[in-house]
Amino acid sequence: MTDALSFEDARRELEQIVAKLESGQASLEEAVALWERGELLYRTCVGRLDAAHGKIEELGKRVDEARP
Amino acid sequence: MKVEPLLYGDRKVYTVSAFNHGVASWVAKLPSLWIEGEVTEFRRQPGWQSVFFTLKDPQDGACLPVSMPRGRFDGLRLDLTDGMTVHVLGRPEVYEARGVFRLRALSIEPLGLGAILAGLERLKRKLAAEGLFAPERKRPLPVLPRRIGLLTGNEAAAKRDFVTAVQGRFPAANLLVAQTYVQGQAAPAAIATTLEALAREPCVDVIVLTRGGGSFEDLLPFSDERVVRAVAGSSVPIVSAVGHEQDTPLCDHAADVRASTPTAAARFVVPDERELRERLDTARAALARSAATTVERARSSLVRDWERLSRAPALLVERKRAGLEGLAGRLQALSPKNTLARGYAIVRMDNGIVRSSAELAVGKRVEVELAEGSFDGRVEETRP
Repeated sequence: MTDALSFEDARRELEQIVAKLESGQASLEEAVALWERGELLYRTCVGRLDAAHGKIEELGKRVDEARP
Repeated sequence: MKVEPLLYGDRKVYTVSAFNHGVASWVAKLPSLWIEGEVTEFRRQPGWQSVFFTLKDPQDGACLPVSMPRGRFDGLRLDLTDGMTVHVLGRPEVYEARGVFRLRALSIEPLGLGAILAGLERLKRKLAAEGLFAPERKRPLPVLPRRIGLLTGNEAAAKRDFVTAVQGRFPAANLLVAQTYVQGQAAPAAIATTLEALAREPCVDVIVLTRGGGSFEDLLPFSDERVVRAVAGSSVPIVSAVGHEQDTPLCDHAADVRASTPTAAARFVVPDERELRERLDTARAALARSAATTVERARSSLVRDWERLSRAPALLVERKRAGLEGLAGRLQALSPKNTLARGYAIVRMDNGIVRSSAELAVGKRVEVELAEGSFDGRVEETRP
């Protein structure tokens, strides 16, 4: 559900959800749905950070130096 | 020498030699002029009487062949190389043997600093007028680029500074490094091509253009029109980090973001991971708090509703009771008891109420009801 999202889009959506919830305009059902979506987005973002491994490549040479 | 045509009937016809000579002597009347251009195809051979090169217009590639007597050239003690921008004082001439138009150079001056600066200023004004430096063209950089393109020279410092700073802030950053010429005549074309190549690579979300500090001349390729146009026209946002704080090559104006040093550039292209995680955690806490607030608000509004609901029957009884009391009051007002209390009495005879003395007869028993109690009596006399 959030796999196709870029980190940036996920974070932006998370912030929008927080803003919407903080405005207090969401109905109860909406609030619960937004909270669930927000949690998912949060886990997506943190998951991306946890999963990322830095790589330095050279254009032309393409010697991949995967780092832990 | 007068040029004489051959006559074929009415038609005047010139020999090639006569024609070339005629044009040459006409061209030779043109004055000496200063011409600015880029030196290409410079040729100098020990046996030759002259040196040759081509002056190229960097704008549109227009070419002009130039020759200069060798003795005069050597006297200038110039280290002329291809790509150098020069001013040539010369006189146009036609080389009659080959019918070639060219410039006969009398003097050559490499462009001085003042002239270079004036040229840069002209170029800057031209590109600014085209809108290449307009603030509305600047694009925002991605928060977290999937991959960072780095264009750098083969000198280690700028690359090392940038990579160290990036990894310090965000260890998981992916870098694609392209090394190319950043100095010398080949640099502008090499930089422009490499920028385009980096932008075409998959997942490259931002490109950083770096070069360590250097002399004014060293940094000139980054003010070259080709490089500036490549930066402005890039499909991927570009951070320019060329030279030191005080250097502003023209590519800085065309880039989406100007960084004063490679280390500063790293701060623009990757977030600080710790800060990013903190911000995410803050957002999550706000999320939970706001959701809880909404639920709490819904719960208390529910409680209020329930209380109103449970109070409703009692309220109904109360209202009915009040209605009933009103009724009782009105009933009381109609009761004869109140009238009796004011001193009136009811007289009954044979269980009927007596309203007229005509109904009575002397000696009849009557019952008199008072506000309090009653008594019996006998009629002694009647009056109409």
